[in-house]
Amino acid sequence: MSRLLKGVGGDRAFKGATISALVLLAIFFIGIIVSMLAYTDWDTFISALLSEEILFAIRLSLITATIATVIAILIAIPVAYAISYAKFPGKDLVDSLLDLPIVISPVALGAVLLVFFSTPLGNSIDDNIMKFVFAVPGIILAQVVVVSALAIRLLKSTFDSIDPRYEQVGRTLGLSKARAFIKVTLPLAKDGLIAATILTWARAVGEFGATVTLAGATAMKTETLPVAIFLNLASADVEKAIAVIFLLVIISVIALFIMRKITKRRYQI
Amino acid sequence: MIEVKDLSIDLGEFHLKDINLSIGDGEYFVILGPTGAGKTVLLECIAGLHKIKQGEIWVNGDDITHLPPEERKIGYVPQDYVLFPFLRVADNITFGLKEAKYTKTEIKERVNTLASLMAITHLINRDTRSLSGGEKQRVALARALALSPKILLLDEPLGALDLQSAKYLRLELKRIHDELGITTIHITHDQTEAEEIADRLGVLNMGGLEQVGMPDEVFFYPGNEAVSDFIGSPNILECDYCNSLGQGLMEVDCGGLRIVIPHDGNSIERISLFPRDIYISNTQPPGPHMNRFKGVITEIKTSGTTERLSVKVGDKTLQTEIPRDISEDMDLIVGKEVFLILKLKRIKVYECKCNHNESKKPS
Repeated sequence: MSRLLKGVGGDRAFKGATISALVLLAIFFIGIIVSMLAYTDWDTFISALLSEEILFAIRLSLITATIATVIAILIAIPVAYAISYAKFPGKDLVDSLLDLPIVISPVALGAVLLVFFSTPLGNSIDDNIMKFVFAVPGIILAQVVVVSALAIRLLKSTFDSIDPRYEQVGRTLGLSKARAFIKVTLPLAKDGLIAATILTWARAVGEFGATVTLAGATAMKTETLPVAIFLNLASADVEKAIAVIFLLVIISVIALFIMRKITKRRYQI
Repeated sequence: MIEVKDLSIDLGEFHLKDINLSIGDGEYFVILGPTGAGKTVLLECIAGLHKIKQGEIWVNGDDITHLPPEERKIGYVPQDYVLFPFLRVADNITFGLKEAKYTKTEIKERVNTLASLMAITHLINRDTRSLSGGEKQRVALARALALSPKILLLDEPLGALDLQSAKYLRLELKRIHDELGITTIHITHDQTEAEEIADRLGVLNMGGLEQVGMPDEVFFYPGNEAVSDFIGSPNILECDYCNSLGQGLMEVDCGGLRIVIPHDGNSIERISLFPRDIYISNTQPPGPHMNRFKGVITEIKTSGTTERLSVKVGDKTLQTEIPRDISEDMDLIVGKEVFLILKLKRIKVYECKCNHNESKKPS
């Protein structure tokens, strides 16, 4: 086998194999979208999209995802900066722990949150400060928990790519550590920050598992776009579900496109 | 005055050990050393970029060992200049001034002064990413000087430039230093650069300061083996005879070698020339026969990427140095006959204190 992959012929075979895999995957995705297009009746699609329920879901998704993204990015900036630059014992452990929400199933995360709100402390927060369980703030909390890990990972790679000497020069020019961060590091991280915000937002819009576990799936109450797909499929209203799926696909494509345009580079997650 | 006392620091890959150094006001001090010697770390310690646990740093009688960098008032030009890419040239220069809340008029005046001092007035609105290496260096210098620091730290300021620009900017650095009278510490691994620009220099090797002195002192009288290994010993030739040829030229005879030197002063007692300043050729070079000698290779020593050759010319043996790849291309072996060409401009002259040599003073 290794003999076969030697020389010019081997190079071609390897190139052919990798490109074939890429083409097959692309055909698979395109096939799925085409089959959806074929299934859709466009009049029903438009009326489904403009129905009160779906308009509510769009509005709720946009609002919750935006708030969740702002919160997640505000948390992620200092955390990612600390992991990227600071040296402290147990840093690797903390770094790995912060990745947990990326690998753990969102449903499990939602369940963990639900369990927390059934403890005396969680209960008192839910009763006296803000209602999370089966309520809109629960959607935001679920999204924040799921997407903040992604935001941290993206921002860490941005901060990692910034030479610390920029900040050092800033300090010799009279800036304190905090000022140097604001005036030097943040402007240098601008592209990465925008890319992280867009990806985080797109992920928050699509969040389902944790949301449905903590905030429930109540039509016209905690019904975000992914929840709308779930509810409509459950009631066999496939056209409506497909309309929402289309909407999610379009939002994702636009988000990815803008991100590419802004950063012109790929991020490894 | 900068005083470094018993400074030690260990950063894993780099370290400094018991550094003691004193640099006078207005002095142009060069720290010379091979790559990995800890030169940058020393500069960063003075700039306040490392926490110092052992040793002290004093400036003008104040202990600044634990002062944060923003309070040290030290101008710093890091290697590769590290200009802020998100700011134009002018905004790079005014960066520190804006933070220090200078008025708009003051900032404008300062930028104009610095831009004309650095000859970068025409670049002021440019994007820093579009500048050449030499231009970047000037902008970085202007930025570091904007707050009128008492001390200027330059980390390999000419390292990223092509030979021509480096040579030009070397003179510029000296001019700017003379104009502002600012105490300057310049680090480099380039001996020619150090020799040309330094008032005094220190040789740093493996984290230790091996020797501090005037360039002549260090280059011609290396204090220990580490310094002489790094610098290489010069060829020192005693002159038996010396005669002025007029037009600023003087002919000397050193043990049978007749050498013409551009010199316009007293008679010459001895001359010296570094091995790297003697060219070697397989064939007789064209042109006048001045300062060219035929000799035989008697020894070849390899040291890193260079080869040091001993060539016997008459009664004298001259040391020359050549990159290894070139030496291999030229098939240089012991016993081979070669031609040596002395680099006229690099010959160092020691004048005679008495006047016992036969000489004719130029009119």
